[in-house]
Amino acid sequence: MKKTDIIKNGLITDNPTLVQLIGMCPTLAVTTSAINGLAMGLATTVVLIGSNIVVSLIKKIIPDEIRIPSFIVVIATFVTLIGMILKAYFPDLDKTLGIFIPLIVVNCLILGRAEAFASKNKVSDSAIDGLAMGLGFAIALTVLGMIRELFGAGSIFGIDIFGANYQPALILILPPGAFFVLGLLIAGIEGLRNRKEAKLIEQEKAKEAKVE
Amino acid sequence: MKIAKLGLILFAITVVAAGILGFANEKTAVLIEKVNEDANNESRQQVLPEADEFKELESNKLKEIQTSNPEVLDIYEGIKGGEVIGYTIKTGTNGYGGIVEVITGINKEEKIIEGVRLGNNNETPGLGALATEESFYGQYDKKPSEELEVVKSAPGETDILAITGATITSKAVTSGVNLASEVFAELDK
Amino acid sequence: MSIFAIVISSIFVNNFVLSRFLGICPFLGVSKKVETALGMGVAVTFVTTIAGIVTYGVQYAILERFNLEFMQTIFFILVIATLVQAVEMFIKKASPPLYKSLGVFLPLITTNCAVLGAALLNIQNEFTFVETIVNSIAAAIGFTLAIVLFAGIRERLELANIPKALEGFPIALITAGLMSIAFLGFVGLV
Repeated sequence: MKKTDIIKNGLITDNPTLVQLIGMCPTLAVTTSAINGLAMGLATTVVLIGSNIVVSLIKKIIPDEIRIPSFIVVIATFVTLIGMILKAYFPDLDKTLGIFIPLIVVNCLILGRAEAFASKNKVSDSAIDGLAMGLGFAIALTVLGMIRELFGAGSIFGIDIFGANYQPALILILPPGAFFVLGLLIAGIEGLRNRKEAKLIEQEKAKEAKVE
Repeated sequence: MKIAKLGLILFAITVVAAGILGFANEKTAVLIEKVNEDANNESRQQVLPEADEFKELESNKLKEIQTSNPEVLDIYEGIKGGEVIGYTIKTGTNGYGGIVEVITGINKEEKIIEGVRLGNNNETPGLGALATEESFYGQYDKKPSEELEVVKSAPGETDILAITGATITSKAVTSGVNLASEVFAELDK
Repeated sequence: MSIFAIVISSIFVNNFVLSRFLGICPFLGVSKKVETALGMGVAVTFVTTIAGIVTYGVQYAILERFNLEFMQTIFFILVIATLVQAVEMFIKKASPPLYKSLGVFLPLITTNCAVLGAALLNIQNEFTFVETIVNSIAAAIGFTLAIVLFAGIRERLELANIPKALEGFPIALITAGLMSIAFLGFVGLV
């Protein structure tokens, strides 16, 4: 596979959050602000790159029967490492992300990539896949966090946008807001895709008409 | 035999993982402890700025207080020039989204509240979490160490103005501060 | 916290799915029919409860005793994975009809963050053994309640006329959001 294809897959074509719809728990839970979404996305990216590389390295020596538990141990190791680093160097972030740091282990995205990509591909490709998928995840989380923070608190990355007189729509930072914003975001993308498809079909029809 | 072999491989992987994590743990554990210690020390310093150092209250005394007031989390003596000038009392009272940790600093001499800060809490961002801003916790500064009340308008001498839309959080913080005052009265006897 | 408070808090106030966002994948994935949703709920309740008990033992008898707290994540997830496998084999032998109805859900539970989440929260809140059991069961009942209610709504949504872009996943999310608003009403109870 071409490297650019792998990158495009992770970021756009197979975007984990917006297209594959996996890894929903952290997506909904920590996106109360842009910085939280970004932090969660980056933490997941690091774990994903690490686990993809190691899984790809050891794929030959792991018997098929214990493939999944072995992958889980690899992933859990990276997750614990990230947890330690966050606790030691970014205690504030660690507090807001809280229990969702250890829960990166059960993010289906990571086990999914280990199983579907890293266990079948070269180390270098696996690393790129981890980076691309991770960034696709991080971007989606950051965008979601930005929207919720902008309308729910009137700021982006903590910088005031709407000024002091803005009455924030608090519901967006409360749990229901997570469902609403993600639902509408996916609907928006779906709508765009539908329109594109409709256009393609029309063009084809026009072509056919010409031929006739 | 096959199962034994599989188990052995999985075990080996886990051992390698444990080795890596053990090493990382050794490197970061000290740092993590220091970060936590610093954060706690910093908030203690903020609520009792005059103290030079803080010493944990004797564990017997603390236990005695905790048996009658289980919501008290820890107590430190603020020391200046070898003398105890006040206490910082950490409490955990029930708020809107669970326990709200409040650290209250009380001046022993004047029996007034020197400062209040919030610790860990899960209050609603944008509402209850506003309690972590100075406009709210600043209200407690220099208040007498007595029973304080939460009001929705026109606060008097021993009143605290509630955060709009977050009365429960305001009450939780205030009850933490009030509990600290009670404990202080006991300590000061 | 009293036992009663834990139950109310885990089922309603801090509902695992609707306010803590744990177990979202199965919540959205297996909620098209009430019957399967209920099956998933029962399976999750079963595994969460046993996992709560076993991880409690692992935490205090092994990890804390030997200063291995940093191995918590690895041990817990391995416990859950093993447990799911064991439960699957046991049910298969003991009750084939039950296996037939629950079997498909079991492998999915390993990566259900509600199970690991409940185990971690038990430890984080320093629950006693009894509280751990109560909280695990209550959390799983909260999950079951949410997913069954949600499936009930989705069954009806099938018949509704929805804008094309909202069909499927988006409308499910918005429905979940409305349910979450309803559950917000419980906040402050405990």
